[in-house]
Amino acid sequence: MKRQTFWNDLKNYKVLLLMLTPAVIFYLLFAYLPMAGIVIAFKRYDYAGGIFGSPWNGFDNFRFFFESGDAFRVTRNTALYNIAFIAVNNALQIFAAILLFEVGGKWFRKIIQSAMFLPYFISWVVVGAIAYNLLNYDIGTVNVLLRGLGLEPIDIYNTPAYWPYLLVLVSAWKGLGYGTVMYLAAITSIDTEMYEAAEIDGANIFQRIMKVTIPNLYPTVIILVLLAVGNIFRGDFGMFYNMIGNNGILFSTTDVIDTFVFRSLITSNDIGMSAAAGVFQSVLGFVTIMLVNYAVRRYDKDRALF
Amino acid sequence: MQKKSGLIMLAIAMMLVMIMSACGNNNNNASEPSASSEPSASASSSASSSPAATETEGTAGASVDTSKEVKLKMIFVGPKPVDYDAVFAEINKKLKEKINATLEGEFLDWSDWAQKYPLKLAAAEDFDLIYSANWAGYNDQALKGGFLEITDEMIQKYMPQTWANMPKVSWGQAKVNGKLYMIPQNRGESVEKLILYREDLRKKYNLPEINSPESFATYLKTIAANEKGIVPFTPETGDWKYHNLDRVLLKQQNEWNMFDLDMPFAYKLTDEKGQVFNVYETQEFKDLMVYYKDLADNNAWSKNVLNSKNDHQQDFKAGKTASITHNNGTLGALMSQMRLENSPYEVKLADINQGKKKSVAISTQNGTSIHATSKNVERSLMLIELMQNDKELHDLMMYGISGVNYEPVGDDKYKATDKFQNFYGFSNWNFNSPLNRTDEAFPQEASDLVNSWEADVYHYPLETFVFDNSKVKTEIANVGNVMLRYGIPLEYGLVKDIDKGIADLNKQLKSAGLEKIQTELQSQIDAFLAKQ
Repeated sequence: MKRQTFWNDLKNYKVLLLMLTPAVIFYLLFAYLPMAGIVIAFKRYDYAGGIFGSPWNGFDNFRFFFESGDAFRVTRNTALYNIAFIAVNNALQIFAAILLFEVGGKWFRKIIQSAMFLPYFISWVVVGAIAYNLLNYDIGTVNVLLRGLGLEPIDIYNTPAYWPYLLVLVSAWKGLGYGTVMYLAAITSIDTEMYEAAEIDGANIFQRIMKVTIPNLYPTVIILVLLAVGNIFRGDFGMFYNMIGNNGILFSTTDVIDTFVFRSLITSNDIGMSAAAGVFQSVLGFVTIMLVNYAVRRYDKDRALF
Repeated sequence: MQKKSGLIMLAIAMMLVMIMSACGNNNNNASEPSASSEPSASASSSASSSPAATETEGTAGASVDTSKEVKLKMIFVGPKPVDYDAVFAEINKKLKEKINATLEGEFLDWSDWAQKYPLKLAAAEDFDLIYSANWAGYNDQALKGGFLEITDEMIQKYMPQTWANMPKVSWGQAKVNGKLYMIPQNRGESVEKLILYREDLRKKYNLPEINSPESFATYLKTIAANEKGIVPFTPETGDWKYHNLDRVLLKQQNEWNMFDLDMPFAYKLTDEKGQVFNVYETQEFKDLMVYYKDLADNNAWSKNVLNSKNDHQQDFKAGKTASITHNNGTLGALMSQMRLENSPYEVKLADINQGKKKSVAISTQNGTSIHATSKNVERSLMLIELMQNDKELHDLMMYGISGVNYEPVGDDKYKATDKFQNFYGFSNWNFNSPLNRTDEAFPQEASDLVNSWEADVYHYPLETFVFDNSKVKTEIANVGNVMLRYGIPLEYGLVKDIDKGIADLNKQLKSAGLEKIQTELQSQIDAFLAKQ
């Protein structure tokens, strides 16, 4: 009887299921299947044994990270940076999307949109080089300008305090276009009748934005934030490594888990130890997303991810 | 509804399990033959080794059955040379004749070789030979089982000339835990660092000859004060855990050996007991920090040196920096290139600690290893034998085609043609041997300088010691991190208070597990010396 319904379902929804298949296969192949590789984190990897044949060594691979004395600092840095990125980037993206939506003129909108999107395609390596040429003490544009104005140059690359702001700024600049397009799409799909009704009721432009646009954006915001929160313990390696590199002076405020692990293991090439750090990040990420999702669920069941 | 979705979940879960178990089986199957092939290969070679021992040298191919043609694959680091096809076609013609084999090269570009190299071994890809070197993680990869162990019998049987020509000390240096995994290069090479500077600038300001750390400091400070737009010293970029000048001013100056400058330990070359000490706790280090701080305060290097990604050799060539440091071979090549291009700058080499003991590179600086899963071990060894000892093949592999990529000058020199760069820049150095030719245009003074060191080249009991770090990997990773975070800024003069900087550094090192490494290192050294 039960089997019957299962096959019936298959039959009834075969087109829908067929459409789903590529996504399911993709995740099976690239997300679920490789998960078996998690065992590496608990093994002393040797080439002859490979992934499944290497001898187990319990939690030895995790020791390096937790005994370094830096585990807390880099984990905190990673989480704080990502929270800042999520908050600032989303706020700016929503702001930009609303502005673009309200400004008329198709051409103007397209041009601005493309200009904002451009940094998204620039590789972090290039961004790092641009930043160095702008900010370095001796010949950086900023300091040349300051000297020209008769002011004291700023030694940015030796002052850790500037970097949290700089990194948030760079991240916002680079992600702005991408996020804006997503929010713009969400805004465009809002029923225009609501705006018309608001206008008839005498709402001015700000009231329209506050009462119609923003409430209608909530679901999109929540989904995007929830998805981002799952990665809150993963530092954007490309960004941090290319902006900071091996400059030890800046590590106190800029070191994230990924750069820390990379630096520690680049010479020893130990696959087990790097896998252990990855597992640590995944477990933290999993716990966070479950907690946040639970919180959202309690507040409003329909808006949770699952 | 609930039940249905439960069923679907179950179906998916079962599918997953099946896929996973299938994958697991596959892996087991795949690893079995490779595991079993290893002992059989070594068994066959050791079984047939007894008749080989009685054979006379020079007839490598004679006793071995080469009737079946094989294709060998070798992994090099560095970009694929432009003339790869032409040169390797020539090489293969000769190889086919001699050992009935052909060679195919795979090249790992400099930009990402460090990531790809361990992966090639970890993934057990299909290849026979691989370039290996101490700086490419030779010990580590050998311990992880990436390379095939090479026994004396194998060498005697398949590479009699190499066995005869290679200095015994080279084999010793290449052993990891008493086992050999590499056929090292057969040519001593100096890796001591020198300083290349602008002689024209020195003359311009009437400075004394640069032959000591003090005169070098004077030079740097004078340039900093008077030459706007020229950075007095530019370090090499890379993951160095020490100051770029430490090889000269700490290692050579104090006659220490410093374990590839990877750990904060050293021992005195003359110390027969090989007593290891923490570099950062020495008075010498502290004095050097004062020296560096003074230089940094006088702008001897860029304030943002840690973030600079400038290529120091390019900068020097372009006149943007007034001094760099590297080994003799590299600096000599740069000098000859600059002279060839009629550079407006007069450049000169300086040895700022003359008379101090110099050591030659240990043999694992360059070498060839056999992949642990290679199916053509014999032919691979024979290939290395030919590349190192057969003049024709050696010339082809090292310099390309005669008359196209280079012009032979006598028996031991060559003249670079405009196509020389088309077969250059990748790791063929593992085939270095006494047959090497030298560049005719290589600056005489550079060769003279190295020759004058002959008297200072020092051999010491610990020269062949190799540290097996597998027991203290955790600590090594953490100590390396501390060196980068606290040591490097201190050395580049970016920490205001030297005493506090050193104290901080040592405190952090201690909590990172410095003492554990030191104990392990010392016990291995003691055991090593006791055996000798």
